[in-house]
Amino acid sequence: MIDIEITIQEGCIPEEIRDALVTSINDAFDQTFGSNHESISINWLQIPKGFGFRGGVPSTTSNVRGVIPDGCDQKTREALLSQIGENWCSVSGVLEDEVIISMRDRSWNG
Amino acid sequence: MPNYRCLIPKDALSYDQRARIATAFTDVHCGISAAPRNFVHVQFIEQDGNSQISNTHGNSEITFDTKYYIAGGNRAGRPPEVKDQILVGLIEEFCRISGVSRNDVSGHISEGPASWVMEGGHILPEPGEEPPEWYQNDV
Repeated sequence: MIDIEITIQEGCIPEEIRDALVTSINDAFDQTFGSNHESISINWLQIPKGFGFRGGVPSTTSNVRGVIPDGCDQKTREALLSQIGENWCSVSGVLEDEVIISMRDRSWNG
Repeated sequence: MPNYRCLIPKDALSYDQRARIATAFTDVHCGISAAPRNFVHVQFIEQDGNSQISNTHGNSEITFDTKYYIAGGNRAGRPPEVKDQILVGLIEEFCRISGVSRNDVSGHISEGPASWVMEGGHILPEPGEEPPEWYQNDV
């Protein structure tokens, strides 16, 4: 299972587009790996207004953070990150500066 | 990146305190690491009674036993003493602004390769290799 946690700031990503964003992430995996990838589980975490900051000022930035199987080469990982970002911006209308995407190896301990 | 999540009891901090802590965290991190200020993300998560949180940069849960906890995530590649210096600085500022006792705060900074992260449409540079244009949006 590929686990993805999406952190958003309250008021920035309307509830009505979240299903489309989930679909867009699934699409990005399909576009990058074909149908040969594990199923994807997505959790949402919303930071209330006044509780998220970027550079010391209130944040409007979303974060898409996932765990993928080990062994993904850098070129493929970059392609995946780019595709997720492109799809996210296309669905949400935000600029690329407003979304951070990361995919780490399952075995990485931090 | 970096990302700092402050786990706090419900209603423990005012908006003013949270904003000042976020600014102070940005000052600490950037003062030590020379990273662009716009890189620094700080969130406050209210939770009572929980003593663990998912690790945003690793494969395990982080457990802790203090009322307040700072869970950080940084780009890998800095010397350990720099990471320690950052964490000490964050905790000091947190206590100074919040008035919370040092005994009630703990923290940890996890790390991940910069090349696994895309921010602003670009793969993050390694620590210390930030191109000049990354600082243009600094606040």
